[in-house]
Amino acid sequence: MELIEKTNEARDDQKSSRSRAAGASFRQPRPIRRRGAVLGARRIEVFLYVLPAALLFCLFILLPILSNIAASLVSERGRFGLGNYVMAAADPVFWVAVENSLLWVVLTLVLQIAVGFFLAVLIELHLPRGKGLFRSLLFLPMVITPSVIAIVFTTIYAPEYGLLYGVFAWLGLANSFPALLGTPSTASIAIIFVNVWQWSGFFVLMYCVGIAAIDREYLDAAAIDGARGWSRIRHIIWPLCRGTTLSLIVLGTIQALQQFPLIDLMTQGGPANASQTLATYIFQTGFTENEMHYASAIAVVLFLLALILVALEYQLSGGGIALTSKAGHAAR
Amino acid sequence: MPRAERWPRRAALLALILATAVSLTPTIYMIDMSLRDSAATFSPVLIAPNPIFSNYVTVLATSGLERFFLNSAVVAGGTVLLTIVAATMLSFAIARLKMRGGGLILLMILGALLLPLASLLIPITVLLKNLGLTNTWIGLIGPETAIGIPFATVILKEAMEGVPDELEEAATIDGASSFTVLRRIIVPLIRPALIVVAIWQFLYSWSEFFLALVIMTENGQKTLPLAPLYYQGPYMSDPGKLFAILTLIAIVPMIVYALVQRWFVSGLMAGGVKG
Repeated sequence: MELIEKTNEARDDQKSSRSRAAGASFRQPRPIRRRGAVLGARRIEVFLYVLPAALLFCLFILLPILSNIAASLVSERGRFGLGNYVMAAADPVFWVAVENSLLWVVLTLVLQIAVGFFLAVLIELHLPRGKGLFRSLLFLPMVITPSVIAIVFTTIYAPEYGLLYGVFAWLGLANSFPALLGTPSTASIAIIFVNVWQWSGFFVLMYCVGIAAIDREYLDAAAIDGARGWSRIRHIIWPLCRGTTLSLIVLGTIQALQQFPLIDLMTQGGPANASQTLATYIFQTGFTENEMHYASAIAVVLFLLALILVALEYQLSGGGIALTSKAGHAAR
Repeated sequence: MPRAERWPRRAALLALILATAVSLTPTIYMIDMSLRDSAATFSPVLIAPNPIFSNYVTVLATSGLERFFLNSAVVAGGTVLLTIVAATMLSFAIARLKMRGGGLILLMILGALLLPLASLLIPITVLLKNLGLTNTWIGLIGPETAIGIPFATVILKEAMEGVPDELEEAATIDGASSFTVLRRIIVPLIRPALIVVAIWQFLYSWSEFFLALVIMTENGQKTLPLAPLYYQGPYMSDPGKLFAILTLIAIVPMIVYALVQRWFVSGLMAGGVKG
């Protein structure tokens, strides 16, 4: 016991705090007990700083994860086992949902990164002034509530009176106007486009931050070497934005997997489950059909899918993803 | 300016104006729809002639939307405040007090960043039901704060690690407690990061739909993101009024962002995005 306290003491002294070291020699008569009390007080202090966050985290994140896994291992009739997972494997709608969730991840990422990077390059490198104005205007969709956006776009897509129909009619194509949300093959794509519309401005902003952080010397050196136009973008700027790209990939993956309001309010996963994703299917099975245990199993699958995708992205990027940058729950 | 450089610049400007126009069109359409009588709302044009303001008058007088506003303001305000306080304290313990087990906590936080909300929804609902917290403000503030803490902690911890040790040491020698150090030295120095976190958490909470949908089942407790669903039925035949409600919901975060975006962007720029 004494030994442990002594090592603690040594470590503590090393760490700095000259005043405290001086204080220790001052209190020479009973140094160890005094120091032990100080250390204990410090531990309580640290504990108090961590307490609020830890409490909320355990209650609303850790406990739910564990109880979710537990619930998924019990069938609706109370039998213990992997029954819910076997049921999911044989459920065609579940597989449609998995496919759509993957489609969401791939399409939103590719489009948002392409649009975001392209526009950020134009703003940061080709605009003498007005950078802030374009960044802010493009970011505007991000601040609008998704459930509002869902209704606006449902109206835009509506046959006969929607804005898009107006464009088709103006082009003389009124007869070939597709009922985008009512057709199984186009419903998902139409909603994914709305997500891309909303999130591209965020990707633009993040790439603007990334490009602005590039050392000007690189760009000057590249200019001297004759790299300009496309080759400058391809060989200098894109690789130097790698960190931003990787963060956005992780963030975008989670965001796409948890998208719910757009799908729920625009198609409710329809027509005939064609636009169902894992997030909407969890809601439908758990809350509409009241099969909580089955929904819990799908929730575990969704969580595992998120982990696998991020691990895959981590591998493909050569382990360069820095989760410590602005990734993650920003997606919410 | 050499001639060769002028053209790319003009092309860039043109492309940006086009992209911005596409990006703004749905918002303009939403606002214009709110200014139409019921006949004009079924005309497929971006801007209809003869705008009217009576939709807003009717909606503000009769819809009861202010109850949704109140709920949203309390939930968003509570969530931002609680997230900032809890995440600042946790980040301080990890970054400055060098607590033992800080690495493990950080790892758990990074893991939580990878959780899609949908996978937590059912157990959170069951838990709140058992605690008797469904249809209460706390029932939304609690989970939303817990969900916001990981991201906030990552940002704040990074910002705190950038504060030089000397300042803290000097204060400690002067006999300052750790809380005084946090309040007087650390917090003022990481203000840009705190602003980024506050804005982000506000936007998240103001737009949160999934949790609110399952937790706020009583009409009097519903937050704004649930309002479109609530008013869709009653205003089915008169979309102008529905769009007035949509515009009112959207305008608040737009104004908030317009007021604070300068600090948001500069906060992001100051932090940089590390690769």
